[in-house]
Amino acid sequence: MKVDKTLVASVILHVVVIGWGLVSFSSRVFESNPEESLPVDIISSDQLAHVMAGMKTGKKENPKPMAEKVAEAKPVEDAVGKITEKAPVVTDTAPPPQPKPVEKPVENKPEPPKPVAEAKPKEEPKPVEKKPEPPQVDPIAEALKKEEKKPKPPVQAATPPQPQQKPKERTFDQSKIAALLDKRDPSRQATTGETLNSNAALGLAKGRAADNSATWGSLFKAQVERCWKKPYGGIESQNPEAAFTIRLKRDGTLEGMPVPEGTPATPYLRVYQESALRAIIECQPYNLPAAYFDEWRYFTPVFTERKI
Amino acid sequence: MTDTDLSRQSSLRLSRRHLLSGMASLGMLAGAPQALAQKRVQIPEGEFVPLPIALPNFVAGTPSDGEVSIGVTQVITNNLKRSGLFAPIDQAAYIEKIVNIDALPQFQNWRTISAQALLTGRMTRQADGRIEARFRLWDVATGQQLAGQQYVTQPENWRRIGHIISDQVYERLTGEKGYFDTRVVFVDETGAKERRVKRLALMDQDGANVRYLTRGNDLVLTPRFSPSTQEITYMEFGQGDPRVYLLNIETGQREIVGNFPGMTFSPRFSPDGQRVIMSLQQGGNSNLFVMDLRSKSTTRLTDTPAIDTAPSYSPDGSRICFESDRGGKPQIYVMPATGGPAQRISFDQTTNGTYSTPVWSPRGDYIAFTKQGGGQFSIGIMKPDGSGERILTSGFHNEGPTFAPNGRVVMFFRDPGGNSGPSLYTVDISGRFEQRVPTPGFASDPAWSPLLS
Repeated sequence: MKVDKTLVASVILHVVVIGWGLVSFSSRVFESNPEESLPVDIISSDQLAHVMAGMKTGKKENPKPMAEKVAEAKPVEDAVGKITEKAPVVTDTAPPPQPKPVEKPVENKPEPPKPVAEAKPKEEPKPVEKKPEPPQVDPIAEALKKEEKKPKPPVQAATPPQPQQKPKERTFDQSKIAALLDKRDPSRQATTGETLNSNAALGLAKGRAADNSATWGSLFKAQVERCWKKPYGGIESQNPEAAFTIRLKRDGTLEGMPVPEGTPATPYLRVYQESALRAIIECQPYNLPAAYFDEWRYFTPVFTERKI
Repeated sequence: MTDTDLSRQSSLRLSRRHLLSGMASLGMLAGAPQALAQKRVQIPEGEFVPLPIALPNFVAGTPSDGEVSIGVTQVITNNLKRSGLFAPIDQAAYIEKIVNIDALPQFQNWRTISAQALLTGRMTRQADGRIEARFRLWDVATGQQLAGQQYVTQPENWRRIGHIISDQVYERLTGEKGYFDTRVVFVDETGAKERRVKRLALMDQDGANVRYLTRGNDLVLTPRFSPSTQEITYMEFGQGDPRVYLLNIETGQREIVGNFPGMTFSPRFSPDGQRVIMSLQQGGNSNLFVMDLRSKSTTRLTDTPAIDTAPSYSPDGSRICFESDRGGKPQIYVMPATGGPAQRISFDQTTNGTYSTPVWSPRGDYIAFTKQGGGQFSIGIMKPDGSGERILTSGFHNEGPTFAPNGRVVMFFRDPGGNSGPSLYTVDISGRFEQRVPTPGFASDPAWSPLLS
């Protein structure tokens, strides 16, 4: 029998390519699992201008430029920092700059984070979050402390001669130095702002506090959950699940009644499905990002009890 | 035709088929993304929230029905609120006044006050003196009618109408059978602590319509409802030994159960109401006996040198759970209803506590018990195999659990200690909603009736 080799090769190649395509492309349905929210703050242009203006005024006096440097220095949390603090404690020249920052930090605090947020979202947004949340009081204290500390290192750099002179006098009073060192350590601990941040993130993942969501899916979830009065199903694990196909208009309202997937098998499942349906209807219009309209104009919310 | 021709043809045909299948596969590939594009957004872990429901006063069909209309609405509101699963919205917030229940309500007005369900109804006195009740239950979001019924009854039964409608609403909105059209028998306690007078009393599950069944000359304990007849079985200290009695609520007729030479106690009906199971004291021990109420024949179920008591049937009548100290301390055992080997199901490793007064849920899924350990009395539930133990409430003294007919709520009595006395409480089997049941005086030993309707 005579078979065309090229034909055979072609057939095999096609089968391989298409077979591979079938396996690799026919993946699962797109599942949108709840993701960790990223706090994002949007700053208007005039706010930005204000921030910029603030920085200009800040340059006139020493503390403001220092604030900028402080923000960058945050990641560098080293034990070394504690050691360097010793020097500022010793100096008497340090106190005069301190009172000034105390007044201005209140104004400055909102400002420094914002420019940072644009530049480096990962770490700087956290201070932005803190303000709305309970720990608000702490950030101020922290900021104060940070600014207190930060001025100090520059002071060392800027005015090296003064400390050098005075330490010589101070060295005679060793007990005073020791006392000052002790005070510094607790103040340093109080400024551990980053641990607070991680706590705040936990709160977001667990609770319903966050409306700032990373995707339109979690945005929808956050909005529809507000209206969802889940029926109480007792303590048995019935693992109810209710899925609907919904079509949304561009203004976020429903185009028609949500279409439930499947008919519930038990009275409780029916009640569960009805409660979810009520939630979808009641919570419209949904405020979803217009850029992704093509995605959320037609999708399937799945109300479920199954833990992910 | 030659061989080569044939082979060429076959290879050609082969290639065509492959081409076709290949194109089909390509088509599938092209179509797949569209089919999969519909994104599924998971909405997990919502919170259980009481359902906001609007309960405007029922419309009075005639001017003289105003009082009963408001009364029925109040009974329903109270029932739903006490269940813990509903949050009735204050009537002061209502925008729309319902005047005609046959017209479609303006759902927008109810949506504004964030009601998810709306109950409208009408009470009308008919020409024959009876009263007609109608109701409609609406889903505010979708505008659908979820349920609608009408009842006709004697005017004095208006509270029952309220309970029956409550059950309908509860069942339709939770998917569970209701339990409002039920009664509770309990031991009413009055007088000083040293000279307590204990009377058998009967009331609606919401505390209304209290009736006393005994005069209080003799001490009464552990009343239990018959699941099928208007009868109660209980233990009474009369002249001589305490005995198990049977009392007909309607006629007041009373009789001793069985003819045993000794003290009989902790009786309970079988699920079909045809038998009574109880303990009989024999010397220092007690054993379980069951008596057929029609044939009066008795059967011995246990024969151990231990105290076996507090028996309770499973809802299908095939098994019995009871309390026994055969292992040294009182624990809960399960055995076949015909007797035989018993299996211990209660184990407490942490406080080494003891378990007593087991009672099987009418749903069959749990056994409620009183647990004593760690200096506290607790009410809890466990599965019939002993797993999944949950404590619902604990404190100085909690005892005597009894299940509501839907198996979702447990009633028990609590004694705070000191000079005061016990009172009745209900708790949901998740332990979330605990509430006191209003009684005229002190009360103990509650037993829930089956659904009346």
